[in-house]
Amino acid sequence: MSIDIAAFIADAIKMATPLIFAALAALINRHAGMFNMGIEGMILCAALGAVTVAHYSGNMWIGVLGGVLTGVITGLFIAFAHLTGKTDLYLTCIAFNLMATGGTVFVMYLLTGEKSTTSGAFRSYQIPNINIPIIKDIPFIGKILSGQSLLTYLAFISVFVVWFILYKTRIGLRIRSVGENPKAAESVGISVTKVGYIAFLLCGLFAGLAGTFLSMSWVTFFMKGMVSGRGYIGLSAQNMANGSPIGSALVSLLFGTTTSFSTTLKSQSSFPTEFLEMIPYLATILAIIFTSIYSISKQKRIERGNK
Amino acid sequence: MKGSRKTQLIESIMEVVRIVAGMAIAYAVALLILVLISDDPIFIVRQFILGPFSSPRRIGSIINLAVPFIICGLSMCFMYAVNKFNLIGESIFMLSGCVVTFVGILIGDRLPMIIMVPLLLIIGAIVGAVLSFVPAIMDRKLNANVVVVSLMLNSVIAQLAIWILRYHMRDTTISFTGSKTTPESMQLPTILGNLRIGSGIIIALILVVIISILFFKTSFGWKMRIVGANPNFARAVGFSTLGISFTAQLLGGALAGIGGATEIMNTYKRYLWTATTGHGFDGLLVAVLARKNPILVPIGALFLSYIRIGADVVNTSGDIPSEFVTVIQGIIILLVAAESFLSGTKRRLIYNTVRKEEAEKQGESNKEVK
Repeated sequence: MSIDIAAFIADAIKMATPLIFAALAALINRHAGMFNMGIEGMILCAALGAVTVAHYSGNMWIGVLGGVLTGVITGLFIAFAHLTGKTDLYLTCIAFNLMATGGTVFVMYLLTGEKSTTSGAFRSYQIPNINIPIIKDIPFIGKILSGQSLLTYLAFISVFVVWFILYKTRIGLRIRSVGENPKAAESVGISVTKVGYIAFLLCGLFAGLAGTFLSMSWVTFFMKGMVSGRGYIGLSAQNMANGSPIGSALVSLLFGTTTSFSTTLKSQSSFPTEFLEMIPYLATILAIIFTSIYSISKQKRIERGNK
Repeated sequence: MKGSRKTQLIESIMEVVRIVAGMAIAYAVALLILVLISDDPIFIVRQFILGPFSSPRRIGSIINLAVPFIICGLSMCFMYAVNKFNLIGESIFMLSGCVVTFVGILIGDRLPMIIMVPLLLIIGAIVGAVLSFVPAIMDRKLNANVVVVSLMLNSVIAQLAIWILRYHMRDTTISFTGSKTTPESMQLPTILGNLRIGSGIIIALILVVIISILFFKTSFGWKMRIVGANPNFARAVGFSTLGISFTAQLLGGALAGIGGATEIMNTYKRYLWTATTGHGFDGLLVAVLARKNPILVPIGALFLSYIRIGADVVNTSGDIPSEFVTVIQGIIILLVAAESFLSGTKRRLIYNTVRKEEAEKQGESNKEVK
């Protein structure tokens, strides 16, 4: 069994891309004090939206726009139910994910007559991979850093964009103040509802990019249930990093590695694939356990110190 | 005193009105979707509404389909009652069915049905309790998010069930993936001849009675409802809120396990599931519709299985994918859960009655003064 390490790392970064976008989407909502599980369904809708718009417009970039817009619209839908309709956010997100799972299959069937994938009916578009001029010639690193999808580079840029929005702009300050203490924010004239909508809008933007990456870069078609928990993994990633954008990206990279590890093993060993499929999810659960233990013991230390 | 009872009455009536209105709106949306996408809307709509009642066989399948919905609805009542959206029931249902089939095939026809069925139900319950222990203990000790943990575990457990099916009980003589046939001693007999209703409905109804007693006649049920309704109050009067919600999640898991076992014994001769069946989420819908009240669970379950069968009829006769039902399910959950849905009407009604009463009181006291 031989593993090309450079290819393995490059694959891990590719696998981490949707997780980074998902983590950033969840992170913005977290800073506004909302635990948005609905990103799973938002990504799924965006993935379908991207290929559909691309197919009917005949233009890849309009497709990307379609994916992002689908993400934003679904985000605003959840925002409407939660902020205006005053539903419980957990219940809303579970209901929304349910709707997304069935709704995407339904829409796909109406458009293509297929129930599992659009690969036969829709033209496929691949977002170009970028070869970086000088770096690509460096032996080991070139293979990793160059030749990734455009959206992968965008994901890493987005990490800093999100950091900038949250910590250096007025709207970021408002989002954080609403998340910290909504009553205090309201008392100084910040509309909690409005800020909530803006947070969902930004969240939808990144969820849309995650979906677009899945259906136009990872593969070039939409597949039923293709998100398969990536939204939740991204959500856990930002939870573990305690809401820090850079930390979330690093944890996402770690989870990307486990996914890549499981696919590599699948092609190289005769181990039952069922157990290899479990790896990314088990890794997430273990990571949740470790970070929880860590934060609890840290809290205990602080409490003891105060006494 | 009389006034507060009156407002209470208005509140509970409005609660029912809200649920019925929510279902009606969702049903109307379903009809609208059908009308918009079908070439022959009148035929399709009639099929959707009346199709489920068109033959005794179909009426029977409404009941049969409702059996797992009832049991999973009860399971989610526990989770929802303590406000923990622990969704592990989704994979418990699958693995419990898998384990029960495995054990059933192992035992074969050696045990009579009267022992076999309760034994397998208990095994299902144990599987459920053991599996739901993981997210529940993580919720209790580590304060981990129970929704995310249970969803991640669902993916893991589903793979485990697939592995057991593929490597340990696959029937290699058939062309599709499935287990060997289960012994007859674990295939529940049908009752009411023509309708072909499986006797699983009896198990489901017995469970409804037991769980209702647990909810409303025991101190645990009472504490559980208080923990869900007002955790701060529960903590203030000294309940162990963590312990109570932990126990509730274990009980919910056990019920989901019983659900999977019952479903296998009631409707299948082989174990065939290669993905989770969605019953955990269906259970949540039923629990939401029943407003966490186990007595109302059968009604919610029957409504759900009615629209499911309707969708199936439409799917076969009109070539419209049955997935649109999940969209309807989502809309129902959102409408019923939305506090502001019809809240204006409720407030106005309460306000008016209270004002009228106050006016009457005022009038009476004025008379007394005179």
